[in-house]
Amino acid sequence: MKHFLLVLGYSFLVLGGCAASAEDAPFRPEVGKFPPLEKAHTYRGELVFVDHATRRGSIRVQGSGMFFRNDPHPFAMLPYGIVRYHGAPADLRDIPLGTVLHVRAYLPPDPKTSAVPVLPVNNKTLDANHNRGAGILPAENHVLFLEDEPSHCLREGLVWKLKDLDIKNNEGMIIATREPKQGRDNKAAEEKLTFDAATRVWRGKEVLGIEELIAEGTWPAEGKKSLGGQAVQLGITWKPTPDGIFTRFHISDIWLDDASMQRSAHHQTETHKAFIRGRWMPAWIDAVEYGKFGRATVTATLFGGMDAALYADFTKGSTAMMNAVENTLKHTHGAYGPGHMASRGTLQDVIKTPEEAPLGSSGIQIRFETDLIIEGIRPGRTVRVRPNIWPLVNVPREEYLSDGSTSIDERFPSPSIFTKY
Amino acid sequence: MRFAIALLTAFGCVLSTAALAADEPFRPEAGKFPPLEKAHAYRGELVFVDHANRRGSIRVAGNGVFRRNDPHPFAMLPYGMVRYHGAPADLRDIPLGTVLHVRAYLPPDPQISAVPVLPVNNKDKDANHSRGIGIAPAENHVLLLEDEPSHCLREGLVWKLKELDLKNNEGMITASREPKAGADGKATEETLTFDAATRIWRGRECLAPADLIAEGIWPGSGKKSLGSQSVLLGLMWKPTPGAVFTRFHISEIWLDDAATQRAAQSQTETHRTFIRSRWMPAWVDTVEYGKFGRATVTATLFGGMDPALYADFQKRSAVLVNGAENTLKHTEGGTAGPSQMAARGSILDVTKLPGEVPLGSSGIQIRFETDLITEGLRPTRVVRIRPATWPDVHLPREEYLDSGNFSLEDRFPTPSIFPKY
Repeated sequence: MKHFLLVLGYSFLVLGGCAASAEDAPFRPEVGKFPPLEKAHTYRGELVFVDHATRRGSIRVQGSGMFFRNDPHPFAMLPYGIVRYHGAPADLRDIPLGTVLHVRAYLPPDPKTSAVPVLPVNNKTLDANHNRGAGILPAENHVLFLEDEPSHCLREGLVWKLKDLDIKNNEGMIIATREPKQGRDNKAAEEKLTFDAATRVWRGKEVLGIEELIAEGTWPAEGKKSLGGQAVQLGITWKPTPDGIFTRFHISDIWLDDASMQRSAHHQTETHKAFIRGRWMPAWIDAVEYGKFGRATVTATLFGGMDAALYADFTKGSTAMMNAVENTLKHTHGAYGPGHMASRGTLQDVIKTPEEAPLGSSGIQIRFETDLIIEGIRPGRTVRVRPNIWPLVNVPREEYLSDGSTSIDERFPSPSIFTKY
Repeated sequence: MRFAIALLTAFGCVLSTAALAADEPFRPEAGKFPPLEKAHAYRGELVFVDHANRRGSIRVAGNGVFRRNDPHPFAMLPYGMVRYHGAPADLRDIPLGTVLHVRAYLPPDPQISAVPVLPVNNKDKDANHSRGIGIAPAENHVLLLEDEPSHCLREGLVWKLKELDLKNNEGMITASREPKAGADGKATEETLTFDAATRIWRGRECLAPADLIAEGIWPGSGKKSLGSQSVLLGLMWKPTPGAVFTRFHISEIWLDDAATQRAAQSQTETHRTFIRSRWMPAWVDTVEYGKFGRATVTATLFGGMDPALYADFQKRSAVLVNGAENTLKHTEGGTAGPSQMAARGSILDVTKLPGEVPLGSSGIQIRFETDLITEGLRPTRVVRIRPATWPDVHLPREEYLDSGNFSLEDRFPTPSIFPKY
């Protein structure tokens, strides 16, 4: 009896320890589940390098220290990761280098196949020394959400309110606050931002320069002027700053009115629509029910963040193609084009989930029946799907994996591309 | 007799040395701007950029299936020039996908090439898989890189739009590239696509095809003759259907000179700010050493910049000069900034060199005297020069070498960053 009680007590101890360890284990996104947004680490920084074909790049993360000294910090987009530019869906290739971006990211889901360096889990708390401060090299480098300043503000219902202008020779400084579009925020911190003769000012259909605002009399040629809290959207980048300035950002674009912002968003939307139609819609496989002689019915969830018109092309009864892709979203088909080896079939169902979809998901599930299932279309794996009304085009060399001759490095790019500082 | 034999042998050696030298492929030499007629010219799509090391990849257009062409690495020569929208630019300013015209040479020094060194006859080889020849030239060190409008403006060309075929805000335009003045009966017509994301610049306006349709200038659907309307086109590449070997896409149309000039002005301002913060690149022609670290240095400023930048180099004005690598990265100062270790002095002379200025050179030579010459300011070495009237700012981490802390790979980047296909 004594023996039995001892064993029971010990078992409870072990179970308790395991539960505690599981709770202590840092959160990593899991295959087949969209990670909760509240688990993401949030930061901001300047886009410094892009390897668009492999959906990765580098960001100079803003900390509390000397921004210019911060090493470019590698990041990789999660397969369902969303990019937004000018308030519209985008790809990394659409974003100009130097753009300041807002980031929501996680630890690598699988450190073994990470395309970017795997860092100590507590890296974001470490001081980077040399007056750079802490938080500039977070281990959370697998990105769910990447958006530029106007996208961030539009999504959060914010605007920039311009307070003061100080100008000379078509360049100078603006003091502004980021506040809710409706009402006021008395606690909003003022930020100083530079602008120069290359700053674009968008108004309706027009793109103006600073000197045109001066010529119209809207801005003075020289000196200071109050801008009265004028509500605008700002495109923010970083340019080198003088000694003594730790962090100060630069205004690349000013959208003076909603019409101009909508036109920019529309242009980006059209760019991305053409992009997705050419590369196919990414999704992941929820389930596969195998039939005979290669037949199968596949359930897949389309990834989120795209324009509604793209999802609208997935209709019940329409024909489609489905190809296996890697986590980089590269087609695995080789030089003959994504249509060559894709499973072909019909959409049996298109189901919109009633509740709010987690970020990364479209909330749309398709059931697709094919007469010839291919390897790679398996639960948890990523695929690309093309409704047959989309153009059938061939993607460029760096965006597909080459048949069976692919090296392991092509399927699972290593972090070696990134400079060690 | 013996003397005659010896003399004949000597002549023979001299002749074969001369013949060997004539057979040697041309490579740019340190301290000399290479003749343009020795450059290999080609065109292609910008696919990858490592702007900090002034290199990238281009998908070179050959006579085969364009999309299958591997991205082809290139490096800018230190005096290499980039032009975008008819104005000076840096690689970072050019959107991925832009079609560029290239003038390039073999690597000056294969041992320290930042891009792969290829067999000298590589441009003559068939790349197989229906890709044709010329898509991977060994001439990958670039003197001039320009987008389509820059190329046309420099060559006095325009695009004459012949016919439009449009449906749902996208379609095809048939056009030919011809001299601005007069007609070219031999100009070949090219079919180019456009879509709803194509930007149309008119005066101050940024329009879309939908706007031209709304104004009644373009039909909503169908074909229309465009009557050889003269425009400038921005070209890029988007995936094409299987049977199309090579077809480019119109990203932008400049309808009038005002729009073209505004685009050039905006880019000029962007680049001026860039050079003022990174300093003017040049190479050292001669150094005359004085006592106790004094020296008089003669240097030739590199070409392709806006005249306003050269105008800031005035006799008797103060300057700072730093050694730089072939990547134009400052080698001095590290995290303390480029000014910390720079040689300081004043300009004794600014000379405009007589005769035609070779591409790569500004034709402007300066003589300046410093009280403390630094290592790196040696004949044929590249330097960066800042007139003291330019702002003194700190460069970002990836754009400087970290004082004595840098590795050999920082100074001489290897080609290992480029994937092997």
